[in-house]
Formats: sequence, C-alpha cells, structure tokens
Amino acid sequence: MRRPFTRRSLSMVAIAAATAVSVLAGCGSPGGDATQASSTPAAKVPELGKDQKVSIVFESYNFGQAGAWTNTFNDLIGKFEKAYPNIHVTPQKPKGSSPNPAADTISSLQSQIAAGSSPDVAQVGFSDLDFTIHSLGAQNLDALFGKDAVQKNFDGAKYPYAPTARTLADWDGKTYGVPFVFSTPVLYYNASLFTKAGLDPAKPPTTWAEAETAAKAIVEKTGDKGLYLDCLTKIAKDWCFQSLVRSNGGRVISKDRTQLTYSQAPAVQVVTDAQRYVKEGLTPVLGQKQAYESFARGEIGMFLETSAIQATFQKGAKGANWDLRAARMPSYGDKPAIATNSGASLFVLSKDPAKQRAGWDLIKFLTSEQAYTEISSKIGYLPLRTGLVDDPAGLQGWAKENPLIVPNIAQLDKMEPWISIPGNNYLQIRDGMMDAVERSVYQGADPQSTLTAAEKQGAALMPKA
Amino acid sequence: MFVEIAPPTLAEAAAATAAEATATRRRSVRGISRLLGRGVVPYLYLAPALGLLVVWIYRPLVETAQYSFYSWNLSPTTPAIPVGWHNFHRVFTLPEVGDSVLRTVLMIGLLLPFTIVIPIVVGLLSREVRGRARTVYQALIFAPFLVAPVASAAVWEWILTPGSGVLNRATGLKINWLHERVPALLSITGIVGWQMLGFAVLVVAAGLASINGDYAEAASVDGASRWQATRWLTLPLLSPTLVFLLLTTVLLAGTWTFPLIDTLTQGGPVSATTNIYYLLWNYGFKSFDAGLAAAAGVVFFAAFTGVAMVLVWLSDRLAFHDN
Repeated sequence: MRRPFTRRSLSMVAIAAATAVSVLAGCGSPGGDATQASSTPAAKVPELGKDQKVSIVFESYNFGQAGAWTNTFNDLIGKFEKAYPNIHVTPQKPKGSSPNPAADTISSLQSQIAAGSSPDVAQVGFSDLDFTIHSLGAQNLDALFGKDAVQKNFDGAKYPYAPTARTLADWDGKTYGVPFVFSTPVLYYNASLFTKAGLDPAKPPTTWAEAETAAKAIVEKTGDKGLYLDCLTKIAKDWCFQSLVRSNGGRVISKDRTQLTYSQAPAVQVVTDAQRYVKEGLTPVLGQKQAYESFARGEIGMFLETSAIQATFQKGAKGANWDLRAARMPSYGDKPAIATNSGASLFVLSKDPAKQRAGWDLIKFLTSEQAYTEISSKIGYLPLRTGLVDDPAGLQGWAKENPLIVPNIAQLDKMEPWISIPGNNYLQIRDGMMDAVERSVYQGADPQSTLTAAEKQGAALMPKA
Repeated sequence: MFVEIAPPTLAEAAAATAAEATATRRRSVRGISRLLGRGVVPYLYLAPALGLLVVWIYRPLVETAQYSFYSWNLSPTTPAIPVGWHNFHRVFTLPEVGDSVLRTVLMIGLLLPFTIVIPIVVGLLSREVRGRARTVYQALIFAPFLVAPVASAAVWEWILTPGSGVLNRATGLKINWLHERVPALLSITGIVGWQMLGFAVLVVAAGLASINGDYAEAASVDGASRWQATRWLTLPLLSPTLVFLLLTTVLLAGTWTFPLIDTLTQGGPVSATTNIYYLLWNYGFKSFDAGLAAAAGVVFFAAFTGVAMVLVWLSDRLAFHDN
C-alpha cells in the first residue's frame, strides 16, 4: 500500500518546500533597528492643550501584589485622574507568572516592545537601569521636560528628595528615571526571642560578630533559629549582597563597571561568614518566601530584609504575638556599614509627545508629598521626601507609631546606589553571581573556588570595552 | 487516371494547421487543466494546514537556526550582531548546559516508572476488575491528568511545606522538599509522574484492549499459566504501546515538567531542578540571550530528532500486525 503514494508525497514535499522557501524568504536578517533607539527629539515636549485628551498605560509590579499595594495604587490613580481630567491612565501589572511580579518586569516590557506597543510609563528596578536606558529606550527626562523642571520635581513643593535618592536613576549626568520606592537593608529582630534568650532587646547587634553571638544564644536557649540574611539567593537579586560586600570594604563590580570583582577577598569573606551561619545551624536552609514566613511566625531571631516585606512581618508579629523591632544593618568589625538601595524608578517609555507629557504629569503626581504620605503610611515604603516624617500634616503621626522606619531613614544619608551590571547579558551575569553565592552559603560549596569560577563565566559575558 | 486536385493554397494550409493547432491546444489545455485539477485539488485542501505548519513550525525553526549565529537581546532597538559559531561554542563549553542535560536525563529516567512500569501493573490488574467498578477505577487514576499543572502545583506546595505540610507530618520527616537539592528533583518528577500516570494507564489500557483474547485462550488450552501468558504473549504484544510511551516520555518530559518547575522551584535550589528546557527558556526569555538560546535549541532539536528516529525505528521493528 505504501509505494503508490511515494511519488505523490514527494511532489507534496516539493510543494511544501517551495511554499516554505517563499515564506521564509520574508524572514530577512534578524535583529532590531538601531536607528530607532537614537532618535530622541531635541525639542522639549509641549504642555498638553486644555481640551487635549490623552490616554496612557502605566505598568507597575505594584498592581500584581494584592492587598495594600494594589489598593493604594488604584486609589492614587483615581486621585490623579480627578486632578487631571484630560488624562486617562490604564494601570497594568507585568505579564508573566512569577510568584514575585517584580521579577516579570523586564521580560514583560521586552515582549511588549518587541510587539510594537510598550507601556507609556513603567516602574523598573535599579538593577535594570543600564538595560532600561540603553535597550528599552527609556526617555531622557532632562531633554523632554527640561533639567529645571526635573530638578524642581525633586525639590518638591515643600520637602525635597533625600540627596542620595535624587540621582539613583541618572546616567552620565542626565536624569532618565525618577526614583520612586525603595528600601535599604534593615535588621528586623524578634525582641521576644531576644528576651527569652537572655539578650537585651534594647541593644540589637551592631556588628556581624555580635549578631552571630546573639544568634548562637537564641539557638541554644530557645531552640529557634538565629538569623537569616535575605541577600544570598538568586531570587533575592544582588542589591543587599552588594551592600554586604561594600560594608566589608569590597565591591562586586569595579567602580567603572568594567570588571567583576566578586571573587576578591571582601566578597569571599562575606560568603564564608554566611556559610558558617548555616553550618552552625544559626541560619535555616529555607527559600526566600519560606524564610520570611518563618520569621513572621516568630521562629527566627534576626532577619536582614527590605522594608517592602515589613507589612508581612507586622501582620505575623501581631498574629503570633511577638515584638517586632528594627535596627540598622550591622557592620563588619569597625568598617562602616554601607547600605545600598533596593527598589525601582519611574520611567517614560512613550515616543509620543502628548503621552510623554501625560506620563510626566503622572510621575510628578506619584512622587508628590501627597502620594508619598499615602504610599508610606499604607504600604510601608520609605518616604523619599524624608522631611515628611517631621511634618504633623504629613507622616509625623505615622512615623511615631512606626519606629520601624527609623533605621531605614537613618541609613539614607550614607546610602550607595545598587549598581546595575552592564550589557545585554547583565541578568545572566547577576544570576550567575547569586547562584554561586547561594551554592556556597546554603549548599556548602567552597566559596573561593565557586565564586572564582562564576566570575570567570560572568566576565566572558561582560560587554567588550 | 489522374484526378487533378488543386493544390491547397498556402492560406488554406495555414488556416488548416491553425485550426488543428487550436483544436489540439484546446484539447491539451482542457487536458492539462483536468490533470491539474485532479492533481491540485487535494493540495488546495491541504493548503491551510500546510500553510499553518509552515508559518508556525518551519518558519520559526529556520529563524531559530538563523538567530543562533547572532548575538541579540530580542529588543527591536538593538541590532543583532553576527558572531559566527560562537553561540554553539558556548553551548558546548558552558558547564550549566552539561549539568542540565544530565538532570534532564535523570528526570526522564525517574519518570519512566510512572509512564511505563506502574501503568503496566495497573493495566494488568485492572483487567481483573469487571463492569462499572473498572470504569470508576480508571477514572480515578486518570483524574490527575485533567488537573491543570499550575493548580496541582499549588496543592503540592501545601503538601510539601516543611513543618506544617501533610507529607512531613505523616511521615515524620524533616525535609524541606522544594528547597533541598535532591528532594526538589524528586518532588518535581514525582508530581509530574503522578500527573502523567493517568494518561499512561489509559494508553496501556487501550493497548491491552486491542490484543485479541484468542491468544491467551489458546495458550491456556495448551496449559500455559496466567503468568506465562502474560510474560510471553501479552507483554510482547504490548511492546509497540510501550515504545510509544517511552517515546512520549523522552520527547515530552520537558513540556510536562516545565510548568511545575516554573511555579514550584524556578529551577532552584541552585539549579537543582533546571532541566535543559527550563535553561533554554531562561536564556531566551529571562536573560534575553536570543543567540545562545537559539543555538542550544538547534543542538537539542538535532539531538532529540536523533533520539526520536531511533525510537521510531525501534517501534517499527517491534510492530506486528494482529489479524
């Protein structure tokens, strides 16, 4: 039965091949058009006309987190539309399925841009700064709206941005993004466990050596776990690891961002110490989410974490009836502790002048005194206009009730930026580094050789100078 | 006698030939169109399917091959830079690629009991169950296959939670299933196996149903025991079905495991559950290294084509024609 079909199927293959070739001929060479990226308009974007209706899309991972995050932001968007009746904002969360919606930010933007329609305003993390500016085409705000206007927004109506926060989303002296929400690493601790272990809860550890001793006391006396640093896994990203390494006098990447330096002594020391906490049973081997749920249940003594998770801790402390307190990040011996920032900025991605202007209006609104008052009191994010915490009409009342914010604000003065890794392969480089850190700390791999091997692989992915 | 016939004039001759030619042309045009009609119509029927096949399968395949020679981050504003064979060099030298291939093989190996051994046992045993009970029995085993992977992932996450999870409480173990390396790999394959078991049992049941009962009867007349009939008749007759299951497991393990890896472990802890498919997706759509992802895709496409060919050849050799 087979043979008679052979000739026909042959001709079918031929036809299929011919069609295929004709369709495929349309493929051309892959890749994007570089000229698109460089076409930045020289002229400033005009103000919107009185009757000019504009509709913009605002993408933020805050809309992917149910509860306080989505509610607060929907409320703010509603207020914005009331204040600017001509502008309609469509809020959306990043497309994707990650447990943490922030992790989908870049892939979501990338796919929308590839499909030809990007959101007009987007909230993007600091680790992606280089990529956002150079590959996603974030607009130069100075060029669009004038340096004065951008600086005026930072100065605010009454309370200016903290000086260290102003320039976090600048590149070569030009402002591309407005830093929006972030935190520094804060040592949250369970004062109830401290008391139980015979430690003084009024004197939280100020160095990592003290923290280790305290952790040992907690493990021995209470049977609970001592401390967890949410800085040493791939999913935690590298903001807080950068902070630890800086505090130990090193860097993960050289100052001019051309060389990876995380296999040098300061970084290796940080990883070796953290590995010892695990080996000695002070740090539990838990995934990120498991760990902060465990801390919320009151099972861990100390926890180095961003204030973005604070609400979860507070809720847990209330439920399990323990006393949550916060302290500054400990230092390595007498070296100064250097905090870096987590978080994200707001960028204008639109190429249409009217939408750019509307997007800028939205950014100004979301970073205003009024918006920060609401964002900080409802979500717990750091108010970047720090003066607000002393204003009775602003956040003073809230700050008094929430002493947890104190170390975070205190650390702002000497904060250093979370440095983004350069090039198209920055995520592979960053993930490779954090994978090596996680492998050493939690799976017992040798820190020096693991970090060296990862750094070698990462170096090959760095952009060639 | 000669009858003089006026020689045909040139014009007449021309007209005649022309008429003849038109006739033949008309005939041949009709013939060709009939021939063509007969030949083309089937292809026209096929065209939509073929067109879609080309647009959705072959074109992306060719494009993938093309991308594998470029360095590009999938961004429309970034030009793709040709890099020759560099991406392929990376595929063969990156340690994480080799490791994830090993883990893929391991996952497939761990899945085989679920897709072959247990289904045979269940299939043979459920032959003993008669009537309604059998349908209920099969439905119960098939049910997990109908649960969406993401939903089952959520349920399993609760079951596997250390401390309060059902599994640890029931067994008294203190394993953090999804965050320790070996348990994480076992969890993922176990969940996938649990889910695919129903499908495999169904396929085996269909295979068993297609085996003519006369063989077993004849064997028992000849004095063969139940076990002998199963071992020497049923299993050999079932072998094409089993090769089919092997083929599906090998080729589709990646598709089956992907949603569970993505929702439960994201490839961790420290890549312990990153198989080659998850790694590829990570390269392409998390790190936007389109060139590397494409090169790895091409290599594994070729490798799996080879595996599939061997298995198809094997199944052809084992195939037999009942009746």
